[in-house]
Amino acid sequence: MSAGYIDEMHEAFHSDLVYRSEDIPLECSPRPKEMEQTLHGVMKLNGLVIRSLEEIAGRGANAVTYRAGKKFGHEVAKYFQKREDVEGALHELSDLLRGQYSFEVWKPEDKETFIIEENGETFIYLVFHDCIVRQTLRRNGLEQGGPLCQTLFGYVVGAIEEITGRKAKLEIVHTGPNACLKKLILK
Amino acid sequence: MEIHVDTDACVGCGLCVKDCPMHVYELQNNVSVAVRPNNCMGCLSCHEICPAQALEHRGIYAARRHYIDIKVCEMLRKVV
Repeated sequence: MSAGYIDEMHEAFHSDLVYRSEDIPLECSPRPKEMEQTLHGVMKLNGLVIRSLEEIAGRGANAVTYRAGKKFGHEVAKYFQKREDVEGALHELSDLLRGQYSFEVWKPEDKETFIIEENGETFIYLVFHDCIVRQTLRRNGLEQGGPLCQTLFGYVVGAIEEITGRKAKLEIVHTGPNACLKKLILK
Repeated sequence: MEIHVDTDACVGCGLCVKDCPMHVYELQNNVSVAVRPNNCMGCLSCHEICPAQALEHRGIYAARRHYIDIKVCEMLRKVV
């Protein structure tokens, strides 16, 4: 390695900035546009972690990621107002997920209400539009519906359980490049 | 939701019919027809699966796409 290169490298990491311990950053640095590379790096890393986890743990990977997501959902939602109605809880959840995921309650045209009762189970269809999991999977060329999707499942279930106090389950009905259809089963 | 099928391009393979979970499409005279467009939730799997690129959706919410590789895009911009 030449000395010129080392000097150049040192120069790149040197500034005249005075940073005091009491300085609290008030905004994200660098600007979001400049963070694109970082975002891609994080997506790539997440994808590789999930791929490796699947290779080593097999189907057990789903249980690990679901559990992690559920804990995260409980953790985040515990600061939110508790309520019994699921629709209100979903509204709170959409606030909670803003920026990472966006979803809407959805129903096929032959159904009267969003809360559907069929074959002895009560459920609500959720269409997830923006989703950081889908972005990561597509960035890495991974299949949708695998362990990384389980983190989102756990997250939603954990948050709904925390807000409403009711047990819930989320099932994938369909995955697509622009949106995914999920079924929130209420117990 | 408005779904338009280019009947000249459609090869009648029926992949969109099989793939759609909400049974939006049906094959009629070897051409795909969107018979239940209001049941479409805009996942766009049919776009991805259609070998003839014969489908068009109008009034759809386009999800954010952060996954596009910026380095590839930069290279493409230089070429295109």
